[in-house]
Amino acid sequence: MQPDDLTRVLAPKLGENLLGVEAFEGMAGRVRFRREAALDLFRAVRDDLSFAHLSMVGGIDWVDHREVFYVAWSDSARQYVLLSTDVPATDAHVETASAVWPSANWHERETWELVDITFDHHPDLRHLLTPDGYAFHPLLRSFKIHEPEELEVKTRHV
Amino acid sequence: MSQATLYSVSYDLSNTIASALGSVLPSGARDLITSSGVVTGFAVVIFAVIILAATMLNTILLIWWERKLLGRFMDRRGAMHVGFAGLLQNFADGFKLFRKDTVKPREADPLGFYFGPTAYMITSLAIFGILPISSGWDTGALPLTLLLALAIFAFAPLFIFVSAWSSNNKYSLMGGMRSAAQMIAYEVPLLLAVVSVVIVAGSFDLNTIVYEQQNYWFWGPLILALIVFVAAMLAEMERIPFDLPEAEAELVEGWNTEYGGMFFAFFMFTDYLRALVGSVLVVLLFFGGWTLPSWVPSVATSWPLAGIFWFMVKTYIVFGVFVWIRASLPRVRTDQLLRVGWNRMIPLGLVSVFVAALLVVAKCVWPFGCLPTP
Amino acid sequence: MSEMWINMGPQHPMTHGLWNLRVRIDGEVVLDVDPEMGYLHRGIEKISEDRHYNEVVTLMDRTCYVAGLAWEHLYILASEQALHITPPERAQYIRMTCEEFQRIGSHIMWYAAFVNDIGLMTPFLYGMRDRDLVLDLFQSFTGARMTYEYMRVGGVRNDLPPTFTDQARKVLDWLTDRFREYDQLCLGSSIFHKRCDHLGVLKANDCIAHGVTGPMLRSAGVKRDLRKDRPYARYDAVDFDVAVADGADVTARYLVRMEEMRQSIRILRQTVDWLEHHPGPVMAEHLPRWLGAPYAPVGREGYLLKRNYAKGVGFSAVEEPHGEAQAYVVNEGTEHPYRVKFRSPIFANLSAARQYLVGYRVADIPPIMGSVDPCIGEVDR
Repeated sequence: MQPDDLTRVLAPKLGENLLGVEAFEGMAGRVRFRREAALDLFRAVRDDLSFAHLSMVGGIDWVDHREVFYVAWSDSARQYVLLSTDVPATDAHVETASAVWPSANWHERETWELVDITFDHHPDLRHLLTPDGYAFHPLLRSFKIHEPEELEVKTRHV
Repeated sequence: MSQATLYSVSYDLSNTIASALGSVLPSGARDLITSSGVVTGFAVVIFAVIILAATMLNTILLIWWERKLLGRFMDRRGAMHVGFAGLLQNFADGFKLFRKDTVKPREADPLGFYFGPTAYMITSLAIFGILPISSGWDTGALPLTLLLALAIFAFAPLFIFVSAWSSNNKYSLMGGMRSAAQMIAYEVPLLLAVVSVVIVAGSFDLNTIVYEQQNYWFWGPLILALIVFVAAMLAEMERIPFDLPEAEAELVEGWNTEYGGMFFAFFMFTDYLRALVGSVLVVLLFFGGWTLPSWVPSVATSWPLAGIFWFMVKTYIVFGVFVWIRASLPRVRTDQLLRVGWNRMIPLGLVSVFVAALLVVAKCVWPFGCLPTP
Repeated sequence: MSEMWINMGPQHPMTHGLWNLRVRIDGEVVLDVDPEMGYLHRGIEKISEDRHYNEVVTLMDRTCYVAGLAWEHLYILASEQALHITPPERAQYIRMTCEEFQRIGSHIMWYAAFVNDIGLMTPFLYGMRDRDLVLDLFQSFTGARMTYEYMRVGGVRNDLPPTFTDQARKVLDWLTDRFREYDQLCLGSSIFHKRCDHLGVLKANDCIAHGVTGPMLRSAGVKRDLRKDRPYARYDAVDFDVAVADGADVTARYLVRMEEMRQSIRILRQTVDWLEHHPGPVMAEHLPRWLGAPYAPVGREGYLLKRNYAKGVGFSAVEEPHGEAQAYVVNEGTEHPYRVKFRSPIFANLSAARQYLVGYRVADIPPIMGSVDPCIGEVDR
């Protein structure tokens, strides 16, 4: 599968919300999209392009904005595809993918707590790796590991 | 001189000590000490101490035997460093546990927490007071020794459950529940297997049961009862494959999760005590106790204490089989265990009772021979 | 008994690591589970941002402590793509050899832990005994038994010693015999089948929906192996089969992992033969100086240097012993990766815990979790 194939299927579905499809070494391509069309894109990628297996969700802090990326695998094409969208740092949220791919659940929890990107309508947005009540987002560039931090951990009572 | 018995040995010892003491004391005290009542009472105490010491020593030796055997099964050498071939390793472990503190959880009920393991050990120790280990080496001819031993043996679930419940820990509680369910379920096939032996031997007295095996050992014709007995005994002893109450994979340590120090040592020690009781009962009921088949040359049995020697050899071999089973089988699940107990073991036990009845009617069975005529 | 929550972990024999499985039970039946992770979170992705590319390799050994070389391979592949470097062929074969030996070592470790979960103690020690041989091999060329720090961007740190091929062949012959013994101890026992058949079933559809990969996915009948489907290093040049089973249960996962070890032996015989006859360099030429040095300079100044190299983004996916691991490395033209993101296969496999645990019994949890083969270091990172 080539980037052109991706464009041919996705462009009619997403319209102007598809910002472009680039070539990516070792992958079917890198799809850039606007976050408003997230759910449409996920459905199209899963159902029309048969990328049934979501492998990874991650976030990157580019200081002025943040990027969310998704990696999905297709068994029929034997290829990965990379989907990415930019969100402003002041209003970092995007629609959850866990309604389309249940496997996104934990990946999004992790991205939420580490990169501070909120996933709307996520079924279970709790802390996963950091303790409950941890107020920091370690993977932001503003979080310096050389500086001491004041850590306040609430104990969870079950 | 007649054959030495455990009581005669204790009495002689008591008598010797009393007369030695009396020779250095004034006459009034001498008369008191050498009077028959005091000597007899003192003999009973010595008797009990001998049994207790022998039991403890054997149990510790049994743990060593298991560790060495298990090591060999697993392609390693087992305990090696303390004493010759690690013989003193268990004493070292015991001293370590003795020195350690027993930490009681704050919410635990102190009465049950401390009473459970203590009573568990004491009752199990009491069984050895009535088990014969050679002809004459017993407490005397109680007519119902076997029944009494099994009755004391069956106390255990109660004490386990008491200590599990009072630990106030969910794992302990689940282990205690499993333990109680399993022991009660396997009590029935255990007794059915015993009943088959009792039918053939015609007595609840262990001495008589051993005497009845002079022509052939019972394991041959009563092979079904042996299978049921060993399986039920494994469940009662809580050894692999039936060690679910302390299945460490899911229940941490089962009903003794919260115990440490000496009370943990009580539990471990008692587990092996019960394993020893199990092996001894298998030997007594199915493998002729301290006797050997008649074709064995009399050289093997004519020397003093030969009966005890052969009895111990048999016991350790039987326990070795238990260790072998432990080294090669995985653990079953509670529901599977109970299903096997109720659906397989009890019918098998009933069949073996039937076989035993046939055996009594037939008197002589080829190729084993005849029961001795009273 | 009424319903109750119990905490299986963070210190519990079932966990094989440091995590907490909260279980809601009614008697012995599991009604709900809630895995709690994070007890071993060390922020490896964050630490990587302040390290040179080769220094991150040190962290990779700590992600999964039983499959360190596979994780090094993963990170190195992504970094090389991000930095536009091609390693020599001999280095690629050495990496494959490392990864396959690591797979055998990891699977033997899994075997030992798994059988211990169902109460078999003897095979546990057999497994540990045989894994030592693999560790001896690693020690012979990396100098370490657990934290190897062997692979470098552009190749590997040093070549194999001349005795390696003979020693490796001896180990492979020995292991081939031992695997037969392993099977006898497990598959030959009817209690094993009673405990493991139809247990922890996770069908292919659920596997894919929940992102489950590796032996768990292959045990559900899906023939997917990145070494075949998306060959990296020189996996396209070796001949092997993908291990697949149908049951989707614990027994099927056992069968898949045992078969994978046999296939690894098959691959290793080919790579060892190749390595014997093809000497050559093990590091790429024309590397930037800071990359070619065995240890990059460390110091306060080192962090402040900003030079301009070609930017790039690297993505790699490796069939790690536990499943499909992925790395995403962003190179912004400095000596440190701008962002490193790892995808741990067990992270996804554990996130589906509710699917394969609910409805079974408390006593089934250890065998099921054992068949998942959790390694918490790589889940928490």
